[in-house]
Amino acid sequence: MTTDDLLVLPGNWNFDYQYFAGETASRFFAELRDRRRIMGRRCPSCRRLLIPARSYCDVCYVETGEWEEVGLSGTLEAFAIILAHFPGLPEPPLAIGFVTLDGADSAILNFVRGVDLTDADAAGARLLRETRVDVVFSAEPAGRITDFHFVISSST
Amino acid sequence: MNDPIGIIGVGQTPYRKRNPDRSAGELVRIAVTEALADARIELADIDFVVGGVAPDALSGIADIDKASISLPGKPYLHVNTGGATGSSALLAARTLIDAGRADVVLVVALERMGQATTAQSIFNTIFDPIYEKDFVLTTITMAALRATMLMSRHGFTGEHWAGIASRNFTQATHNPLVVGARPRTVQDVLDSPVLAWPIHLYEACPISEGACAVVLARGDLARSRETAWILGTGAYSDTYAMGDRMHRPEGSLIEMVPLRRAAEKAYREAGITEPLRQVDVLELQAPFAIIEAMAYPALGLCDLDDSRGFVERAIALDIPLTVNPSGGAQAANPVSATALVRIAEAALQVRHRAGDRQVPGARTALATGQGGATQFSTVCLLGSEAP
Repeated sequence: MTTDDLLVLPGNWNFDYQYFAGETASRFFAELRDRRRIMGRRCPSCRRLLIPARSYCDVCYVETGEWEEVGLSGTLEAFAIILAHFPGLPEPPLAIGFVTLDGADSAILNFVRGVDLTDADAAGARLLRETRVDVVFSAEPAGRITDFHFVISSST
Repeated sequence: MNDPIGIIGVGQTPYRKRNPDRSAGELVRIAVTEALADARIELADIDFVVGGVAPDALSGIADIDKASISLPGKPYLHVNTGGATGSSALLAARTLIDAGRADVVLVVALERMGQATTAQSIFNTIFDPIYEKDFVLTTITMAALRATMLMSRHGFTGEHWAGIASRNFTQATHNPLVVGARPRTVQDVLDSPVLAWPIHLYEACPISEGACAVVLARGDLARSRETAWILGTGAYSDTYAMGDRMHRPEGSLIEMVPLRRAAEKAYREAGITEPLRQVDVLELQAPFAIIEAMAYPALGLCDLDDSRGFVERAIALDIPLTVNPSGGAQAANPVSATALVRIAEAALQVRHRAGDRQVPGARTALATGQGGATQFSTVCLLGSEAP
């Protein structure tokens, strides 16, 4: 049998879902949308302030405690600059990064905008060098993680 | 003291991008038939089947193992720990034998991802839809995020990633199971397009389909064969979200805490105190160069501060053990099967049946498994002599 004789059937998976965020993440997003502040919950055992907010500590496996606000600047811990187009994913070029916001003990992921990504090597070198970033809120918050993004800090 | 357990048979299909001429069950049957022949046993001798398939959406068939791996008349257990699925399945088989539930177990892992036309958008679905999925997280960006962290903390450069990739892809040309393997120089890798900086196209693992089967046995049956004996194993899990692992006292995101714990457990069981001197061959489940760089200190082969120096010596082949003689997961990464392939390759090495990729005199080999965002890690130590 030749390759042309082999049957290859088309197919696709296209299901709709509704993802349940739960109470803690719902409050985190409400704070973002309504008060433009980033809040987390602290583990009463290891004392880490978890951002984004978690209802329990992954290490101690106990319920996290009171809500606390963190700073709107932080340190870029890890980043990637996406240049390749992959079907079904947002159009490149894009930069993403994990940031430890001032006062937090875990890192939150978001887009890093405002960096010239035309030359990826130059952009990468810059993000390795300039690691202080600021939070910028969107003009029309929707109660989603995309209600803010990061930019390289203007004070550095 | 439990009876020692070992691998008495190995079967593998070639690993290629797609197999439109074979159904999933046909791929599995090729690997299983070869493993049974290698073990010189019949299907009737198998007490239990453990199967592994990772994200269902890669094949577009939910629980494809029901259609391809489970066998009539045999008890069956399905394992899924992402990229560590194959090695987790083997460790489950070992536990079944240790517990006295079986004497001979067939372990099978299958990857059918050639049926997916948008693999990276499927990998995006393994991430948290509430906080993280919006940010183009895929296996490639996950690797790029670790890469920049390693560059920032340990001074790695793109040349290091290219050097590791060049070594793996070039070694794969000695492995007939890696279909289409071509040597790549450091410059080839650096000149290839950037997918997600600093990751280039020629260091990303290709799409690979295939099946791997391993027969595990104990007692007289194992003693009467050329067996790759299990000297020690370890398997640990970690937190799902990468950001939650960034600042923990036990180790940051790039320290591979579960792999370190798994290695310590396996070494303890095997009585290994100086792995750099006592292990001959490493088969690393490292689909990207950065996973390999992170694995060296986690496996106790160097200090964390010496990560970059060790990578440079490893690229220059100036270390006393051989890394990925098969080409490793970077050259062929059938996702569900890849961690079992590492164990199968380690078994071939200590049984001296690895053909052109045989490391002369190999007596002890270590295989790793990595699943999720380095969330699941396994270590399996195999030896030529019964413990």
